[in-house]
Amino acid sequence: MTDTLLPAAAAPVGASTPSPRPRRRSGRDLTLVTLVTVVSLLLFVIVGLPLIRILTVALSAEGWEIVSSMLTNPVNRRILWNTVQLGVLVAVLGTAVGFVMAYAQVRLKFRGKKLLHLIALMPIVSPPFAVATAAITMFGRNGIISNKLLGLDIDIYGLKGLVFVLTLSFFPVSYMNLKGMLESLDPSLDEAASNLGASKLKIFTSVTLPMLVPGIAGSFLLLFVESIADLANPLVLGGDYTVLASRAYLAVTGEYNVAGGAAYSLVLLVPALSVFLVQRYWVSRKNVVSVTGKPAGSPELITAPALRIPILGLALVVAGLVVLMYATVIFGGFVKIFGVNNDFTLSHYRFVLAGIGSDAMFTTTLLALVATPIAGLLGMLIAWLVVSKLKRTSGLMDFVGMLGLSVPGTVIGIGYAIAFNTPTILGGRQWFPAVAGGSAILGGAMAIVMVFVARSLPSGQRAGIAALQQINPAIDEASTSLGANSFTTFRKVTLPLIRPALLSGLTYAFARSMTTLSPIVFITTPQTKIMTSQILAEVDAGRFGNAFAYCAILIVIVLSFIGLLNLAMLHPSIRGIQRR
Amino acid sequence: MTATSETPMTQQTQQTPPADSTVQSARDSLATATPGRVTLRSLRKVYGDDASATPAVRDVDLDIEPGEFITLLGPSGCGKTTTLRMIAGFETPTAGEIRLDDDLLNKVAPNKRPMAMVFQSYALFPHLSVFDNVAYGLKLKKMPSARVTEEVETALTSMNLGPYRDRAPHQMSGGQQQRVALARALVMRPKVLLFDEPLSNLDAKLRVQMRGEIRRLQRRLGITTVFVTHDQDEAMTMSDRIVVMNVGVIEQVDTPEEIYRHPLSVFVADFIGRANFLDVDVQGIEDGSARVSVLGRQWTVPSHPEVEVDAPVTLLVRPESVRLSPTDGRAVTGSVGRVLSSMFYGESIEYDIETEAGNLVVSVADPHAHETFSPGDYLDVGFEEGRAWLMPVGDEPQ
Repeated sequence: MTDTLLPAAAAPVGASTPSPRPRRRSGRDLTLVTLVTVVSLLLFVIVGLPLIRILTVALSAEGWEIVSSMLTNPVNRRILWNTVQLGVLVAVLGTAVGFVMAYAQVRLKFRGKKLLHLIALMPIVSPPFAVATAAITMFGRNGIISNKLLGLDIDIYGLKGLVFVLTLSFFPVSYMNLKGMLESLDPSLDEAASNLGASKLKIFTSVTLPMLVPGIAGSFLLLFVESIADLANPLVLGGDYTVLASRAYLAVTGEYNVAGGAAYSLVLLVPALSVFLVQRYWVSRKNVVSVTGKPAGSPELITAPALRIPILGLALVVAGLVVLMYATVIFGGFVKIFGVNNDFTLSHYRFVLAGIGSDAMFTTTLLALVATPIAGLLGMLIAWLVVSKLKRTSGLMDFVGMLGLSVPGTVIGIGYAIAFNTPTILGGRQWFPAVAGGSAILGGAMAIVMVFVARSLPSGQRAGIAALQQINPAIDEASTSLGANSFTTFRKVTLPLIRPALLSGLTYAFARSMTTLSPIVFITTPQTKIMTSQILAEVDAGRFGNAFAYCAILIVIVLSFIGLLNLAMLHPSIRGIQRR
Repeated sequence: MTATSETPMTQQTQQTPPADSTVQSARDSLATATPGRVTLRSLRKVYGDDASATPAVRDVDLDIEPGEFITLLGPSGCGKTTTLRMIAGFETPTAGEIRLDDDLLNKVAPNKRPMAMVFQSYALFPHLSVFDNVAYGLKLKKMPSARVTEEVETALTSMNLGPYRDRAPHQMSGGQQQRVALARALVMRPKVLLFDEPLSNLDAKLRVQMRGEIRRLQRRLGITTVFVTHDQDEAMTMSDRIVVMNVGVIEQVDTPEEIYRHPLSVFVADFIGRANFLDVDVQGIEDGSARVSVLGRQWTVPSHPEVEVDAPVTLLVRPESVRLSPTDGRAVTGSVGRVLSSMFYGESIEYDIETEAGNLVVSVADPHAHETFSPGDYLDVGFEEGRAWLMPVGDEPQ
């Protein structure tokens, strides 16, 4: 599909005839053509190929049998229903929690806003198992709070636990979205409504809420996709409650049934992609609030107790739960078995820092460090092509670039396993050797870097597109008019101007690479151990202490990287003159 | 970052320094570029794939002489900016030719065209200092850095920007940013200088001042200049020739005076300056003048070469060529009109007069030197014969 972007340039390198006088083409911007070709090829390899392979396998006779039995076979129907149910519940609750937190942050008057904000963002930088294991420790059947403190007998495994953990893990997405929207609501609208005689409550229901509807719908859809795509938590907390992602995982790793895995993936892919499309092209069009615009002023903060007490109370409960979860992670890493044997020990950290874990720690960090700049730059490059260079194909490139995120990780992982465990052969030619799996080159590390890039470039791409849309196109043209070609313009003008977006792109890329699990479990190899899949192994074996230590160290690595990156970006040589 | 720390506001007040000799010599040394001749032939632009869509620009033919200051003028959507952007290379023509001197430009990438553009938003690079903004294009030419410094200093001096070389764009006022944009364009010694509504973001006073400055600079450098604007005052005061465009078509190309006095279409007459159109009876036409009757009298007026006796015509009378005098008449008939309203502008006074030929806008200069009238007054209405213009009412587009 990407080949059609540029028929001339996509011809196989080896087959090219002696090129007839390249100078005759000087009219076109050759660097642009080259850039588009390179980016298209990269995208094709890291997301296109795995998806195509998963489709061909899922639509093979063996796979199709499962796909077609999705609604007829009661077991499969149950799995499908479970997935949808989980997605809807988490989407509703997560959006509600995110809204409460955002509303408190933007509109309420209270002290400690910054702290609440940081707490609300914590789940973003944490590995997938942190909340789940902490929740089991605190609220499980032998949970410290549920059982020891309150004497309850709660079964956390299954839907209840999943909804609780996923809501806590994913609400930051909705929090960030809605906070941005609330901040950019023009306060003069509130003033106008008030001037026309509306009470505070009436303003909220007749002005604020209607304007946020697209944002709320958008975050509902995002959370729905995130939760049906999640693999880590259903594996740890699901119990008998099987969802599509965990079923696909079981098919591939337990039953060695790749066709089955591909089939379940396809069923998972359909709602994920359609929701993504609806979110992107329908909800965003309904949006009346420009999130990227500068806030037009600050609204009067609410001090009325009738609103303040319930909202702030809810926000504090959520924040308290988040803090409790992470306190558990930190504390749990330093005791033998948290809640059973609370003796101090360093053995968990020794295991991670000096034992088997150190290998995974170094490999993961190294591979994430390799993937981060690639993903960050590729994201910015795609954003730039989409916003200011491509015309007809820009929607397509934007869509393909976003696939790495919109396609569930489980699906990507299985796609990689199918596509890259064997040498890639297209049209009777081997293009490159196997890059995934134990027998692949570099011990499968290349596939892992590719997955990291695919998974993390979309956030940079989004940030880049938002930043670029703020830049007057005339600036680009001014550079061109002064003699710069496309690439020079990108390097000397565009990139410096979207540095904040690049920074956030790099941050997300690193955090995502370090914490991603679902695609990794399918392609990690004995030579290339990845922390998240090591954590899964520890949790499976019931060694929560080790898992806690892993999680804590992972969080520390991510936070230090973010800190260092921010410091580096402050350095004058990188910063240029920018402001003040 | 910068040594000086006054706010842009305080500097703006002490702007417009007299162009002293250093500035002049700096300007002269920028004038080494050879002005180019731009030729547009059957230039056409249709947006989108639909061939039946209305073209943004259709079949434009234009010859821009070396060193000429030409203005593309018209209402928004008339195709003036599209034409400019095709010359710059930011839009690809659907059909037709663009030539610079004898070279066909259609296939030449915008960064390879020896032209420089000044944008409406100035489009200064916000992350670069004033110096680096101006040096940007020279550095791309791989010019040795000592030369770059020298050239940039000259350009900055010529624009009175010497003290601001280390400023960031956002630390400067709009007028100063405009000068940087101009310096950045001129330092490239382009064969053609392109302006896309460069003055519309400035306040009224500064706009008038920059108008004069750009015009003087252009004269001195003798550089071919294409200037796009929707402001007729800018067009009238700056241009050698004005190209009036409407819905993608050139209506008239002429000197400002010709365009004002002898417009070829009602659209041009209406768009440039203000116009009264009177319905007249044509008695006869010969040698470019016509005998007409209107306002109860016979007049001999200059006429458009294409005016025919039986074709629909209209008489253009500019507000300042209407003559008013007190009368005894007490009814709107013949040459008698009645004042509907008056507006005082300071340097002139403007009346709305009801006559049997329709309502007229009348402008009387220097109200203190003339008798003034009040609403309800009856007046004798006439006009300067030689300044009226009999023109055909063609099939106006739209």
